[in-house]
Amino acid sequence: MLVMKNINKIFQTADIQTHALRDFCLQVNEGDFVSVTGPSGSGKTTFLNIAGLLETYSNGEFLLDGEDVGKLNDNGRSRMRNQKIGFIFQGFNLIPDLNLYDNVDVPLRYRGFNGKERKRRIEENLERVGLASRMKHLPSQLSGGQQQRVAIARALATDPRFLLADEPTGNLDSEMAQSVMSLLEDINQQGTTIIMVTHDAQLAQRAKRTIQVKDGRVSELAIVTPHLNQAIA
Amino acid sequence: MLETGLILRALARNKVGALLIALQIALTMTIMVNAIFMIQDRQQQMQRDSGLDEANTFYLTNTVFAQDYNIQAHLQTDLHTIRNTPGVIDAVQINAIPLSSSGWSMALQHESGEDKDAIGSAIYMVDEHAINSMGLELIAGSNFSQADIELRKDGQSTWPAKTIITKAFAENLYPDDWQSAIGKTVYISQTQPMQIIGVIKALQAPWNGWDGVERSMLVPFQRESKGSYYFIRTEAGRRDELMPIIEKVLAESDKQRIIRRVTTVEDTRLRSYRQHNATNKILSTVIITLTLITGFGIVGLAIFSINRRTKQIGTRRALGATKGQIMRYFMMENFIISAFGNMIGCLGAVALNMWLVHTFSLSPISFELIAFGVVTLFIVGQLAVLYPARKAAMIAPATATRTM
Ligand SMILES: Nc1ncnc2c1ncn2[C@@H]1O[C@H](COP(=O)(O)OP(=O)(O)OP(=O)(O)O)[C@@H](O)[C@H]1O
Ligand SMILES: [Mg+2]
Repeated sequence: MLVMKNINKIFQTADIQTHALRDFCLQVNEGDFVSVTGPSGSGKTTFLNIAGLLETYSNGEFLLDGEDVGKLNDNGRSRMRNQKIGFIFQGFNLIPDLNLYDNVDVPLRYRGFNGKERKRRIEENLERVGLASRMKHLPSQLSGGQQQRVAIARALATDPRFLLADEPTGNLDSEMAQSVMSLLEDINQQGTTIIMVTHDAQLAQRAKRTIQVKDGRVSELAIVTPHLNQAIA
Repeated sequence: MLETGLILRALARNKVGALLIALQIALTMTIMVNAIFMIQDRQQQMQRDSGLDEANTFYLTNTVFAQDYNIQAHLQTDLHTIRNTPGVIDAVQINAIPLSSSGWSMALQHESGEDKDAIGSAIYMVDEHAINSMGLELIAGSNFSQADIELRKDGQSTWPAKTIITKAFAENLYPDDWQSAIGKTVYISQTQPMQIIGVIKALQAPWNGWDGVERSMLVPFQRESKGSYYFIRTEAGRRDELMPIIEKVLAESDKQRIIRRVTTVEDTRLRSYRQHNATNKILSTVIITLTLITGFGIVGLAIFSINRRTKQIGTRRALGATKGQIMRYFMMENFIISAFGNMIGCLGAVALNMWLVHTFSLSPISFELIAFGVVTLFIVGQLAVLYPARKAAMIAPATATRTM
């Protein structure tokens, strides 16, 4: 479970202060699939980065799986990212010099699994995203949709509780976007909690729950109709 | 280590930069090890014992310009004056100065006759005061007696009946037992017999680059010559005070000659090895410069590759890498590059050394020196990569989502 209470995030640059999140409150339950929409600059990525422990917050309270994130030091946050969180990025963020097998291996090595365990997890997860036959390929030899599938395999390999995705289909054509979305739905069905930021109203709608971020605050849409969603976007 | 396999495979896809640095390390290794080797070789040469009491000895030249001058009488007066100056231990007339780079040499042979094998040696023409005046150590046999000393005219080609040689020379003449040299007759100038009556521990020849530099012989001659050296030994610590006094006394006692070039043996040693010292300085500068260039090269490559991989590093952080793991990644990467460079460097160092051994007949390089080179370059590499690696560790995890 993820609980945020009155989270504020203020970016301080040379001459301006940006209040990216204002008294941001949110609870995400085990097994949820939450999509996050909102205008550009509203704070979606900031929220996701804080949720994924990539960034610290200025004040407020944040519990992840019952643990007070504010009390963790940098190493503690790294460990928690490695154990509980899987990331999917808009730009896939695969390591270009490593083949698919080694890419999926990266977080497993940080976890300290032995070679046998890593091999099992790598093969299982590449299988799961349908790319087991291309293990020795480099990312550059794959299409965008395939690269994002590898990224998903990499995120899942550590068995995370939460899968965080910032516009995972933003760089994909609609056909590829659909297939990545179906994959995420499958994964959610199997128990992983997913939070996904997207600009695509149709995809957002396929989530179990949709929230909108505006000016650094949450406004939840209980019932999302395509019509209403279009109006917002 | 944690990521060695992944680092190796990533390196294999970005060979060029790493390979260039590895080659630079190899070259540095090759040159460094051999330069240190050459420095050590020179230092060993410089540390060889001259046999002299260097701290307390000096010499001067006595040049007679007068016609009708009783050289023999004046020589005895001069030696008497110097030897009786308070603070002087002893003094001797001599024909050449060790380490001065000019002197006389002759060869000794076991059998009389032409076409016999002979061994070359420096010749010092001295009286029975030589051992005491130069601070030599007689380790076998006996010194000359006053009766052994002959007068030698310029151009004379006959030799006295006795000689004292250095231990190194005795070992060359009698490889089985140098002590057996005492009492043996050897031949100088091919046919003139000479008996070895004593062996001194050490006395170097005037030429420091000669491979027979340890072979010298004392010959009991006083020279009736218009130019000669007086070699003087003082009580400990009184050399500098006595040098001007003796110069003055000699100069004033007899106006028919000039006293010049009052020089300490220590100065002579410095001048003798000036070239050695200069070469060693140049070699040291080369080593330091090369090592620095390599160090900066490593810093440069690391910074370049880290800047290129900013997003990748952020992604690794997002996937759970700690700052320490990011740092270790780059330290390990450098270690692998250094290991590769050092491997080639070892081959290069040995190859260059073999060439040096072959061309300049130096002795082969020691294993310790190569090990020293390897360790040094590993340390240089790790130190050089420390700052870039720290920078990499500071890259924010959010870089993964914030950069396109
Ligand atoms: N590192 C930073 N320093 C200063 N300001 C920042 C920084 N990161 C984000 N901001 C600001 O915080 C606000 C929220 O940014 P955020 O990236 O969360 O928006 P977003 O909703 O993800 O937008 P988009 O849909 O364009 O991705 C913006 O005004 C942005 O300029
Ligand atoms: Mg964003």
